[in-house]
Amino acid sequence: MEVLTGWWDDFFWGSLVVVELFFVALILTVLFGLIGSAAKLSKNRFANAIANGYTIVFRGTPEILVLLLFYFGSAIALTALAQVFDPEVKFVDFPPFWAGSLAIALIIGSYATETFRGAFLGVDPGQVEAARALGLSNLQTFIYVRIPAMWRLALPPFGNHMLSLIKDTALVAIIGLEETLFVAEQAIGYTAKPFTLYLVVGAIYLGFSTIITLTVMLCEKYANRHLEIAK
Amino acid sequence: MSDNQQDIIVHVENVDKFFGDFQALKAVNLTVARGERVVVCGPSGSGKSTLIRCINRLEAHSSGRILINGHELTDDVKDIDAVRREVGMVFQSFNLFPHLTVIENLMLAPKLVRKTSKAENRELAMEMLARVKIQDQAEKWPSALSGGQQQRVAIARALCMNPEVILFDEPTSALDPEMISEVLDVMIDLAKEGMTMICVTHEMGFARSVADNVVFMDQGEIVETGPPATFFDSPKSDRTRLFLQQILSH
Amino acid sequence: MSFDLDLILDSIPQMLMGLGLTLQLLFLSLALGTVLAIILLLMRISGRWFLSAPAMAYIYIFRGTPILVQIFIIYYGLPQLELVRDSILWPILREPFGCAIVALSLNTGAYVSEIFRGGVLGVDRGLKEAASALGLSPRQRFIYITAPIAIRLSLPAYSNDVVSLMKSTALASTITLLDMTGIARTIVAETYAPYEVFLSLMVIYLVLTWMIQRSFGWIEKRMSRHVRSEI
Repeated sequence: MEVLTGWWDDFFWGSLVVVELFFVALILTVLFGLIGSAAKLSKNRFANAIANGYTIVFRGTPEILVLLLFYFGSAIALTALAQVFDPEVKFVDFPPFWAGSLAIALIIGSYATETFRGAFLGVDPGQVEAARALGLSNLQTFIYVRIPAMWRLALPPFGNHMLSLIKDTALVAIIGLEETLFVAEQAIGYTAKPFTLYLVVGAIYLGFSTIITLTVMLCEKYANRHLEIAK
Repeated sequence: MSDNQQDIIVHVENVDKFFGDFQALKAVNLTVARGERVVVCGPSGSGKSTLIRCINRLEAHSSGRILINGHELTDDVKDIDAVRREVGMVFQSFNLFPHLTVIENLMLAPKLVRKTSKAENRELAMEMLARVKIQDQAEKWPSALSGGQQQRVAIARALCMNPEVILFDEPTSALDPEMISEVLDVMIDLAKEGMTMICVTHEMGFARSVADNVVFMDQGEIVETGPPATFFDSPKSDRTRLFLQQILSH
Repeated sequence: MSFDLDLILDSIPQMLMGLGLTLQLLFLSLALGTVLAIILLLMRISGRWFLSAPAMAYIYIFRGTPILVQIFIIYYGLPQLELVRDSILWPILREPFGCAIVALSLNTGAYVSEIFRGGVLGVDRGLKEAASALGLSPRQRFIYITAPIAIRLSLPAYSNDVVSLMKSTALASTITLLDMTGIARTIVAETYAPYEVFLSLMVIYLVLTWMIQRSFGWIEKRMSRHVRSEI
């Protein structure tokens, strides 16, 4: 393991990038999931169609392709935009961090759309009726009754989405993000020990997965605490 | 009731059953002779289902002895298999195999356990289906049948293994009222033909007309047993009296 | 940004030449992975700790780390080990195709075994009891009752995994294989036209996804003909 001396802090910073990417993508995922599921459940046929198209496209396309498309595509779009202002500009690079988090959030968001949709449908309609009878507006009912009820149902599958999310962050290395795989490649250049180094990357991700799994278990316990008493 | 050992099919001696700290059965003693029809009744949680599930080892008794036709029921797989060949069971929720047709449901166990030929199995199966008056449904899927029909198929399935005794675990509790009598009629026919049976049920009319012996259980113990006449008309224990009041007052 | 139609018409046939490789990767890994999954499942439910513990550890590791990292470990990492270079598996592991198949099979095996396990757990307890009561041995119970029902219950999740596997085959392009994504990337590198090329590739993958889903829909229908439909 002496091969790793000197590389520990690089791996640390790389891991930090992964964590940042994870949280940014997570927030966007929840956002896309809520918007998508609301669109699918609404009576507006146009919204339904867009949401359906969204889920079909992003669940059926390889993640790496989405990443490549976003990265190269947004670089070109940004360059074109910049050229409008300054014709001298040759190429604007779109930061891989943002291309990556957006792409991953859109992908996992399409799965979250389905999960949230199912969870919303699972909410006891009696509760909603009670809220309306009490005079709560649509928006208030949504925030104070629907979302808390739906969250308990969505949590287990959403935990799986979070695991997919953290694993997909590894793909962002392909478009140049300087996270753990990048560090590993550098270290391989110096030490010629690819097996050891990629194993380290694997172990880092395994650590993250474990943390996520444990956190989800705790959240599930918390979300279901009102049911424990009934047993 | 003859005490000749040859005639005792089920012998339960001093049996306790614990689920963790909870004691479901307390020092239960029961003997059932060949041809005898026993009805077990009692409030929920009294242990009646647990008792019969111990008899075919769906639950393992914690202490005491259980003997079926002379075989003692132990942890040994050979003993358990030997017992299950002699003991048939009909469940509250029928438990017909959904991916097999009615006749395939009946033919499966004889094929695998008794290893008889397909032709013999089919003949036996049709015979049993006729016995429960449902032979025209032989090729149907269980899901196409009503609850009463499914339960009759379940009885036929148990009969195909030619058991010495059949255990019924609340066979009509999951049925709509209008289907209960078709199942009870089949059970009455079986009783008339001399089948030994232990039946957990709330159907007191059935108990009165068919049972040789009624057993009342409460909180894991057998409180009282007796022939229907004495049991229903002059129960000895207060608890029995209370239970009969509750269940017969409708 | 102009949309070069000619380029699209040119690149699609080129990318479709990679279809053969994509399908080989898919079917071979699916077959091997499913076999592995059955073995892992039997180990997992065997009740013997020295079988179930390694199986659980294996599943945990392969589901907790990114598949890209697994591919890199096998392709770039294994050659580092003399043990591997001297073994009989070396001819397979030396080639990127062999490495991709190994990585994809090992990975999908872990996921599919959990899917099968979910199916097995979903079989009604009453059915297993009825089989016991009739005198069937545990082995007979598993073969004639549990397995057929578990397979039908697993089909939806299994079909999702097949789609995932198909998407993962695109990662083979990161280890020099010229599957459809690999070819697409070379075209983009030459023509600087990511939109046209990647978007057309996306359409091809969507068609594949659709075909997989249709096939499984048909299989599910056939297997469920005895299940009473909700009235």
